[in-house]
Order: sequence, then structure tokens, then C-alpha cells
Amino acid sequence: MDFSLTEDQRQLRDRMAKFAQLELNSGAIERDRDQVFPHDLWKRCGEMGLQGLPVPPEYGGEGLDPLSTAIALEGFGYGCRDAGLLFAVCAHLLACVVPISLHGSGAVKKKYLPGLCNGTLIAVNGMTEETSGSDAFHMASRAAADGDGYRISGVKTLATNAPIANLAVIYAVTDEKKGAHGGITGFVVETNTPGLRQGQRFDKLGFRTAQMGRLDFKDVVVPKENVLGGAGGGSTIFTQSMEWERICIAACHVGAMQHLMERAIEYARTRTAQGSPIGKYQAVSHKIADMKIRLETARLLVYHAASRIGKARDNAMNASMVKVYASECLQKTAMDTIQIFGGHGILTENELERALRDSIGSSIYSGTNEVQRNIIASWLGL
Amino acid sequence: MNDDAQSIQNSVKDYLLKTFLPGEDPDSLTPDTPLISGGILDSISTVKLVTFLEEQYKVEFQAHEISSDTLETLTDIAKTIQLKSAARA
Repeated sequence: MDFSLTEDQRQLRDRMAKFAQLELNSGAIERDRDQVFPHDLWKRCGEMGLQGLPVPPEYGGEGLDPLSTAIALEGFGYGCRDAGLLFAVCAHLLACVVPISLHGSGAVKKKYLPGLCNGTLIAVNGMTEETSGSDAFHMASRAAADGDGYRISGVKTLATNAPIANLAVIYAVTDEKKGAHGGITGFVVETNTPGLRQGQRFDKLGFRTAQMGRLDFKDVVVPKENVLGGAGGGSTIFTQSMEWERICIAACHVGAMQHLMERAIEYARTRTAQGSPIGKYQAVSHKIADMKIRLETARLLVYHAASRIGKARDNAMNASMVKVYASECLQKTAMDTIQIFGGHGILTENELERALRDSIGSSIYSGTNEVQRNIIASWLGL
Repeated sequence: MNDDAQSIQNSVKDYLLKTFLPGEDPDSLTPDTPLISGGILDSISTVKLVTFLEEQYKVEFQAHEISSDTLETLTDIAKTIQLKSAARA
């Protein structure tokens, strides 16, 4: 078993980190305060290939394998301090671009993937509803065959990119009798389709530059070619997209933890108290040692799970383990970094209080950590 | 029913009893017992069953094929595996 990265993977991670550090961080405090989505930076991310990392080159992507995709996103997470932009890219890429790339019809892939990859288009994944969240398959949205297509009605909420998206990947019940498997279908819908209304941005605690909102569907008609993977395949496709999302967002968390740990180390070496750098006191150094343990264990889990994407259906359990572990590690690391910085940690200008706010949602989105533990238990036969 | 279908049913029945119905009377699981609509298989256990079928019979299920059309009863499962095996041959 060789745990080392290839030279290409190392360069990829460094390239993404450097790009983010140089081009994405200026003005992040103000954008967070004002909850402004940086369209120009989204476009730059597209030019860097971020929105199409695993997409085949013939559709405008970088053609990376899942592990290399995760490694690129780790670099992105390390370098990018605009967690809203980072989250918007991940939601777009992992819950929309990936399922379209894997399950879209030839016409859909040809029509949308190039724009989705190069930053021209923004996609939103619509799954959560007012009465179904982590129990995603108990949705109320319905789609019925209508001539040569489907007619969709329902309301999706807490959907990242909803107010600004050009394209939606949504799921609706197409056969109530069949339930989750066989009864739910995924669709690709242009957001300017008659009957589709994009809601206003929700105000929220963290990743505030990401625009989260509702999507209202009222008799929205889509052509049959916009069905993802065949009628009834929605739950399997959604589960697969969540496998990608849980693992690859966790890769971003690994990058963010590395960044926080480096800041904590730098501060602990230079800040003095009672004549010594605070890092010489075990109350501080042990916190940082624990950061390192969390970082490296989370990284191993992410790399292992990413290397299994597309190879085994039970990787869904690995994805849940990664999701729980990396998100809780990130929250702890963000909290401890603030504690080490003391009063300076809670000042907005030091960008640590924002890192903590950005980390809180990680145990909720992509399925709450409670539900992830249910999934793990279920795979264990409990 | 030919021998292959019977053999598939027996093998899948053993798997279901061992994995999802420990302690259950084997006679209560008949060829026509509803597995999905009857609540024996939830969404994750359905995927576990598909994983077993893919590994055991060297077949592959597409996303839309994982449904009560193909997996509702032992009879349906045997038919599905036979069709997939024949298509592969």
C-alpha cells in the first residue's frame, strides 16, 4: 500500500491552492459581510477548470479521476478563504455536473457540460423540501409524463445557487407505488423554463457568499431527453452524487484544516506570554498536536474513500464516515484555533471567526451527521 | 421454473434471511413475498442486495433498474438475473 501522491497530484494540489490564494481571497471579508456572490471569481474558477475537474475533456472538463478531483479540491480548500464561493463550486460540480456527466443523455451533455465546466453556467441541485431534508426520498415534488416529456410541480428549498442558477438538477416522484427505488426520477431543467421561479437569497450563518434559496416548480415541462439516467433512477443517481459530494467537500475541509493549523502554529511560535512563546505551553501545543492528528486521519479517510468512488456501491458508507469525521474535525480545529488566538481570534479582521461560522454548516449539509450515522449503522446491519 | 431460477432463488433467499431477517422462519419468505413494498428492504438494504447480486452473478444494474420492477420478489430477482446473464452471454 503506497500512500504517496504522484508528482502530478502534488502539482495539481499546489496549483489550485496558489490560484485560490492569489486570486480569490481579496475582499472576502466584505463579500461575507454583504453576502455577495463573486460572479467574476466564479468565471476565473471555470477558467482554472475547477467546475469540470472529473468531466471528460470532450465535454470541456479536465478528465481527472475521483481521487485527483478530491486532491484538487483539497488544494482549493487550503487556499480559498471565500467558503461561500468554495461551497457554490462544490454544490455545482458534485451534485449537478457529476450526475449530468455520468447519467445525462448525449444531447444534454453536449448542450450543457461545456458551459457548466467553463464557468458560463451555474447549476443548482434541488432535493431538500420543507417536509423532507435528510430523509430526502420522502419528497412531495411530483413529475408526470406529459406528451414527449414530463410536467413537474413542487418546491425545493435550501438549494445552494438557487437564486443565481441557469440550470437545475432536481428530483421528483414519478411513481408513488414504487417508492425510493424506481419511483423517483432526476431531471435537468433550465431555470428560465416557464413555471419555474427562483427565490430570494436566504441570510445565513456561514459560507455567506453562496446564494441559497428556493425553487418553485408549477407545471414545469421538460423534454424526455432531460431525464437523468432513465425514469426511476433518481434515488440511485442522487445517492451517487452525494457520495461524490460528501467525500470531495471533506477534501476541502482537509485543506481548510491544514490552513488553520498552520496559522495556529505560526501564532503559537510568535505570540509570547510570561516570557515564552505560547506554543511552549502544553495547553496550546497539545491543541495543535490534536489538530495534526485530526488533519492526517481525515486526509487518509478522504483519499481512501475518493479512490473507491465508482468502484463499489458500499463506498456510500465510506462517504458517510468521511463526512461525519471531517466536518466534526473541521469544527473542532476552527474552534481551537480561535481559542489559541485568544481575543484576536474573535476579531473579524483575523478571519478566524468567519472560518468557525463557515464550519458550522458542515455537519448539516449533504445530509446531517445524525443521518450519516444512521447510514453507517444500516450498512453494518443494524 | 428451471433449475437455474430455482438455484438463484435459493441463494438469494439464504442471503436475505442471513442479512436482513435473522431468526426469521425460512418458510415465511416465499417466492412471492413482497420485499420492497413489504418493508423487508429499505433504500440501503436494497443497494446491499444489488451489491450482492452484482458480485455473485457478475451482472450490473443501471440506476433505473434498481426498482420494484426487478427486485420486488424472489421470483422477480431470479428473472432479472437470468435476463441479465443471458444478455451478457
